[in-house]
Amino acid sequence: MAMKKKRYALVVDSRKCINCKACAVACKAENEVPVGRFRNWINEARQGEYPKLRIDFEPEQCHHCEHPSCARVCPTGATWVRKDGIVLVDYDDCIGCRYCMVACPYEARYFHEESGTVHKCTLCSHRIDGGELPACVATCPSKVRVFGDLEDSSSRIHELLATRRYRLKEPQTGNGPQLYYLL
Amino acid sequence: MGTLRMDRRLFLQAAGVTAGVAATTQVGCLKYFRKGRTVSIDDRQVPTTCELCPNKCSAIAVVEGGIVRKLNPNPENPKSRAMLCARGNAAIKQVYDPDRIKHPMIRVGARGEGKWKKATWDEAFDFAAKQLSAVKAKYGPEASLWSSTEGFQEVFFKNLGLAFGSPNLVRHPTLCLASVNLAYSATFGTVPSFDLLNSKYVIMSGANRFESIITPDTMDLIGSVMERKAKLVYLDPRFTVTAAKADEWYPIKPGTDLAFILAMLHVIIKENRHSQAFVAASTTGFELLTEHVKPYTPEWAEKETEIPAKDIIRIAREFSDAAPRAVYYAGRRSSWYQNDFQMRRAQAILNAIVGNWDQQGGMVPNAKLPKGEFLFMPWDEPKAARVDEIEKHFPLAAKGDGVYLKLRENVLSGKPYPVKAWMVYKQDPMNAMPDQAKTLKMIEGMDFIGVIDVAMSDMAWYADVVFPESAYLERTDPVEVMAGIWPAVVYRQQVVKPIHDTKPNLEIVQGLAKRLGLSDYFDYTIEQWVEAEFKELPIPMAMEHMKKHGVWAASGQPSYGKTLNPDHRFVTKTGKIELFSERLKEAGYDPLPVYEAPTQPPGDRFRLILGRVGYFTHANQSNNVWLNEFMKENDLWINPKPAERLGIRHGSYVTVTSSVGTVRIKVRVTEEIRPDCVFMLHGFGKKAKMQSLVYNVGASDAALLETAWDKVSGNAAFHETFVKVANA
Repeated sequence: MAMKKKRYALVVDSRKCINCKACAVACKAENEVPVGRFRNWINEARQGEYPKLRIDFEPEQCHHCEHPSCARVCPTGATWVRKDGIVLVDYDDCIGCRYCMVACPYEARYFHEESGTVHKCTLCSHRIDGGELPACVATCPSKVRVFGDLEDSSSRIHELLATRRYRLKEPQTGNGPQLYYLL
Repeated sequence: MGTLRMDRRLFLQAAGVTAGVAATTQVGCLKYFRKGRTVSIDDRQVPTTCELCPNKCSAIAVVEGGIVRKLNPNPENPKSRAMLCARGNAAIKQVYDPDRIKHPMIRVGARGEGKWKKATWDEAFDFAAKQLSAVKAKYGPEASLWSSTEGFQEVFFKNLGLAFGSPNLVRHPTLCLASVNLAYSATFGTVPSFDLLNSKYVIMSGANRFESIITPDTMDLIGSVMERKAKLVYLDPRFTVTAAKADEWYPIKPGTDLAFILAMLHVIIKENRHSQAFVAASTTGFELLTEHVKPYTPEWAEKETEIPAKDIIRIAREFSDAAPRAVYYAGRRSSWYQNDFQMRRAQAILNAIVGNWDQQGGMVPNAKLPKGEFLFMPWDEPKAARVDEIEKHFPLAAKGDGVYLKLRENVLSGKPYPVKAWMVYKQDPMNAMPDQAKTLKMIEGMDFIGVIDVAMSDMAWYADVVFPESAYLERTDPVEVMAGIWPAVVYRQQVVKPIHDTKPNLEIVQGLAKRLGLSDYFDYTIEQWVEAEFKELPIPMAMEHMKKHGVWAASGQPSYGKTLNPDHRFVTKTGKIELFSERLKEAGYDPLPVYEAPTQPPGDRFRLILGRVGYFTHANQSNNVWLNEFMKENDLWINPKPAERLGIRHGSYVTVTSSVGTVRIKVRVTEEIRPDCVFMLHGFGKKAKMQSLVYNVGASDAALLETAWDKVSGNAAFHETFVKVANA
């Protein structure tokens, strides 16, 4: 039987984010991210004057774009898009030129000193392939991120995107980001 | 399994084979930089129980090559709700921390100077036993103090103190939530849980549940508030994350929460909005309460709290309309003021009269599960009375926990008798207790100090001997029953062998007991202890189940209303829920909560307030490399108005001075705090050089806090300190 096409993505319900950093530490452990570097992070927007105040948290990571500019600029083809939409770096082919770091609109990549290659969120593809959720999704106390297959009409993320309003970051780049922020 | 040298592709194949052979083994992500490394194939997944804070979340440790690589949440635990927070994830770094105490250490320099000699366990035990025996011979066993914080192995430490003959065990509650526990016990005869998963209306006084993570409350509340299933009204002088997520935030004038609650009681009773049936059937003292709250009008409360009377009235109406699915949330938090107990009592009374007791979405008495007990040889009860004179000064307080600050006063004065030896387990009184200078004085007065801990706390830094405890991932611990709305049993089993020359607490206790002639009382192994506990758990094949799953939870939905039958007797004097408390009256306290306006800081001073963030709870967590990344230094929050008046600029350094100490700290000028308060985070400004990330970085709140306690529970009052702020 032919495998059905998959398109993995994350829906992010930022309002539920309490900035507890569980996702960042889980990712650090899962992917051996060096101290001082992050594959995911939480943006903070603080505004207003006492006592009319507001704080917004916005978890972010690689957007696993449909047309990723990082892949376009890669001179060796080390950055590639898996059939299920996950943008990955083949470390054997990466020469550490860091063009991709400049090209990424989300600053989602970092240079890994020890290996001399560029790293970023893999959506925990190794966990997904083993039937597990990405580490950031699994560990979250308030379940901010919802992981799923956009091609699967019975998936929770399909339902969320069909019923809720959402926004994408920097869609004008033409990258086709796949991190959906619920409004 | 053997040790192989292999390249990445070979490793892939080998890992594949391993996964095929052992069904439970799961291969983690393959890291390219293991290429060419020696990899031992010791890949396992071990369920265990987190120890980074008191929540006891279930985790599954992923071991690769004999090293803990990852901790995943274990969804089988109904309380931890399939999550593991930042601290839980960072527990790996507690094991592989270069700052860890790697072997027993005996002090050779002055106390706190940091000059140590590496000792063998025999040397360390012999040394400590000799010192403890000398104190016992000279002053009696009661001259020893045994301090500890809750943990699965705390029982062994406490038992050693008791077997030694000391009545002076002192635990964390009076530096934490003793006032809450006592207030709810005095009213209901028990401390209930709050069913936030099903509440429709939640009022919270500064418990900051979205940064001080408590399971399952934090997760249940954020879900229901954000999905608009519940309304959250939040009172706090500071704009916390909880304030940011709340439907309504009131920057209440500090110390006036009781006025707000009394005014709510006034409105609800005046408008007959209480649950008349429940009040009649299950409570006592309603008439007295009715009279008592008459003067506490919303207009009066507005002046005290700075919360508009119309809002107090509206909130009281909304709250009673939403009841029984409405709670004034107490939850876990520390105490702030000298009338903290009475403020908590007022909350308990408010909850009681709207009839949310033992109701879905209300307060629910904790369900418990049976557990077996290992029967050890009993010792004679200690003969001396407690040094903190708890019976005399705090007759209602929990005797076994002691009263920390009063105890320190008495030890310093040498009355009623001298205390000359101090044993500490898993606690850092240097940072946990207000007034660090006073704690240092207490340390100076000791003939002997011994500390058992995983990391070099500031307390350990001032000890004469330090016994390194194995980290939780290196230990098997006693079984724990977690009472609650969703009761569960959790088990902590050894994931990896200790990587340094450390021991679990039981073995440290046994080493000391042997040399103190107390071995007979500790003549068992952790395996025997655990086996006895497993025997009476309501779980088929308990040991097998717990080793495989790490947690067991009763199936099915929680049952509400078991205590609502008319024959139910509450564990109070009258057998009813006591709105008016005879017991308090007899003990000389206000039987109904009486408001006393708190002293406000004079013009040139600020009230110092404390709190936590989601990634640091205990003082030692700021030195965890994976958590320290989020905040390398604490800072002082100050509102722009007073900052401008004082010429203080954001990012500059200031000196903060109270009556007991001065610290230097960086400034955060922020709109997110009342102009009459300043705030700083706990856990910085360490004295121990073996906390290398936070040694001398930022400032310790303990250095500024003054000695003050809640009158009834003896709980430290953490918000009673006024400070001066000036450019450094």
